[in-house]
Amino acid sequence: MALTPANLWWCFVGVFLGTVIGVLPGLGPPATIAMLLPLTLKMNPTTAIIMLAGIYYGAKYGGSTTSILLNVPGESSSVVTCLDGYQMARQGRAGPALGIAAISSFVAGTVGVLGLMLIAPPAARFAVRLGPPEYFALMILGLSMVVFLAGESMVKGLLATLFGLWLATMGTDLFTAESRFTFGRMELLDGIDFIIVSIGIFAVGEVLVNIESQAGAGLFKVPKGLRNLLPSLQDIRDCRFAFLNGSVVGFFIGVLPGAGSTIASFISYGIEKAFSRHPEKFGTGVVEGVAAPEGANNSETGGALVPLLTLGIPGSNTTAILLAALILWGFRPGPLLIQDNPGLFWGLVASMYVGNVMLLILNLPLVPLFAQILRLPYYALYPIILGISVVGVYSVSQSLFDVWLLSLFGLLGYLMRKLDFPAAPLVLGMVLGDAMERALRQSLMMSQGEMSIFVTRPVSAAMLLLAFIILMMPLVRKVRSWRAKAVEQEL
Amino acid sequence: MIKTRGFHVALMSLFLGTLLLSPVWGQGFKPSRPVEVVVHTNPGGGSDVFARAIAEMVDRERLLSHRMAVANKSGGSGATAMAYLAEKKGDDHTIGFFTNTWMVTSLTRKEAKVTINDLTPVVRLILEPMIAVVKADSPYGGMKDFVEAAKKNPGKLNQSGGSPGAPEDLYRLLIQKTTGAKWNFISFPGGGERISNLLGGNVQLLMAQPQEIGEHIRSGGMRVIASMTERRLADLPNVPTIGEQGLDVPILDQARGVLAPPGTAGGVVRYWEDLFGRLVQTQSWKKYVAENQLEEAYLKSREVGEFWKKQGDLLRSLLQEAGVKVAR
Repeated sequence: MALTPANLWWCFVGVFLGTVIGVLPGLGPPATIAMLLPLTLKMNPTTAIIMLAGIYYGAKYGGSTTSILLNVPGESSSVVTCLDGYQMARQGRAGPALGIAAISSFVAGTVGVLGLMLIAPPAARFAVRLGPPEYFALMILGLSMVVFLAGESMVKGLLATLFGLWLATMGTDLFTAESRFTFGRMELLDGIDFIIVSIGIFAVGEVLVNIESQAGAGLFKVPKGLRNLLPSLQDIRDCRFAFLNGSVVGFFIGVLPGAGSTIASFISYGIEKAFSRHPEKFGTGVVEGVAAPEGANNSETGGALVPLLTLGIPGSNTTAILLAALILWGFRPGPLLIQDNPGLFWGLVASMYVGNVMLLILNLPLVPLFAQILRLPYYALYPIILGISVVGVYSVSQSLFDVWLLSLFGLLGYLMRKLDFPAAPLVLGMVLGDAMERALRQSLMMSQGEMSIFVTRPVSAAMLLLAFIILMMPLVRKVRSWRAKAVEQEL
Repeated sequence: MIKTRGFHVALMSLFLGTLLLSPVWGQGFKPSRPVEVVVHTNPGGGSDVFARAIAEMVDRERLLSHRMAVANKSGGSGATAMAYLAEKKGDDHTIGFFTNTWMVTSLTRKEAKVTINDLTPVVRLILEPMIAVVKADSPYGGMKDFVEAAKKNPGKLNQSGGSPGAPEDLYRLLIQKTTGAKWNFISFPGGGERISNLLGGNVQLLMAQPQEIGEHIRSGGMRVIASMTERRLADLPNVPTIGEQGLDVPILDQARGVLAPPGTAGGVVRYWEDLFGRLVQTQSWKKYVAENQLEEAYLKSREVGEFWKKQGDLLRSLLQEAGVKVAR
């Protein structure tokens, strides 16, 4: 079914378009799919969903490109990729970083489809059982990742996280419909879009810092020779655990409606660092730091389709528009969708295996090509980065107000770099803040204000315990080093 | 005052001729380029899906020679979309799809600089009824049972829904007021989470539109315990209305319809009135309404204006009664 020439062709169109919009920051899969929806109404629905799903997972491949090359997160789920990916690019390893992102995306994307094919119904049954208390615990667990993102100073890391959490409170309070920190501006009623903050702090901030330093001229080295432009076997060997970690974390977080691929990428990065033999090198350009989050955000796609196809429940903007598409094509998404339309489900699954192969073949040859961008002298490169940033932010909601916000956060990113504040915890706080607050308040409404609801439910208790252990890790390490010092002094 | 028929006709033609020649009246308006259709939800949201379905039907029935392009101006529960439409004043190629949310936002948000009453009403198209559902293995046979249980265990039962002030929340507040029962309302921004938390047993009650949960009812995962309507729904003849179960509360239907930027000329409004008037006669429309269990509710511009005023007054008093702050 999926292998008819027409379906193969539309699958290719989908993944190709997905790659393109993934590369361009701003315009994401939901908007693209919405734009193409009218065209699909005359297509065979199975072919149409094959193409639209191709856009969805194709975008995840493309998202890493600008993160690695320019420190501009192409999609929100590629923010974490900036941390090590951009550092690799600065060291002249842009090619291997892009290559490993593609390979990891391929491996995890395929594992995600396997999960969708084999365990969709039980995974969905598991997911619906998790309520607000479990989501709150998951967000706390995500927030504990600050330990792995903070860098030198834990205090600065925590301050940045708090600032991110504060940014997340802006907008309309979901429960009382009260406005918070909107300064009377209608544009702030929904808070600040996460992509504006991350592009501002990462990309614009980076450009500002580099303009200042004369060293900017020779910032990037691009080695010659194809061998240096693709990951080595050693790189791939280093990433074995990252592939597995990204695949599993991505899929299971994807299954949870409303959690999202950004959270998946942060958590898999944290796990990667926690289990690494050289955690201190993370953030300086290690290849696993790219492989884990890029894997997670691809595997998430397979996971996110689970509640959509088995229950008719969309967990994200993109799956919501896919749900709308299914309805427009005359399907009735819900618990009986697969049973009533096995052709649709199996056609989609089969196309996703093929699509992932296509994406790998499509993306790997592009790597040396993209890496050449960094040969540009800085006076050409920086305006390009700023241009891409402004256009990307403007394209989200066609608002000039957002562009001003971008400048503001660019300035903030500059100051943070100057004062040595890490950027990633801020972004982490902002991603998780909203969902965490919501889950906390929903839980307390359920329990009539009893905090015990978080520890009497086993899944939530286990996640909170894990978060506690992670948070204690730096403290234990500190105490140990003090003790070592004390012993030294006595000797 | 009785004159000849010929004179009447002459007078009329003269009058119409003047109208045709004067652009101020916009008579004889016909779109000359694609029409922008503003909705307040993201792609995939309720209003977005509705607008896209209509655009598709208008295209299929060849009612419009140009395309209808949906523009998602999400944010601020309709405030962004209303402000955008206000900016489009004087542009005859822009229309918007309103819902009750726009009315509630107009009443409650002081940041909303533009309210629904600043915009030009065009037509009302449908009313969406609401039904109350529980998980299939729930002990509550009817809404009355749920209310009784909530009375016995105040604050122990939960209902999932959208934002405070949404119809499902107002129903809860109204029923609580008339019966003295008490249960919690837990907001979930996405419709999917409202459903999954009911299926997962984290909440015990959900009120939603039939098309949102129809498949869960069909698959046997959920059971309907009441319809929040005046009369029983055609598709659910065995489900008693809320009034039949002795719960005396006003019915709040979710209305959907079309509006235009502020001060849109009468002729342009009439063009759209006529286009949507023809749409609701088509087979495609009848099929869509039946499939999605909607209630046809076509009204013309003047009546829509009256409807907004009446519904606005009702919502204001209900919101105030429910303790939600009203800004205007």
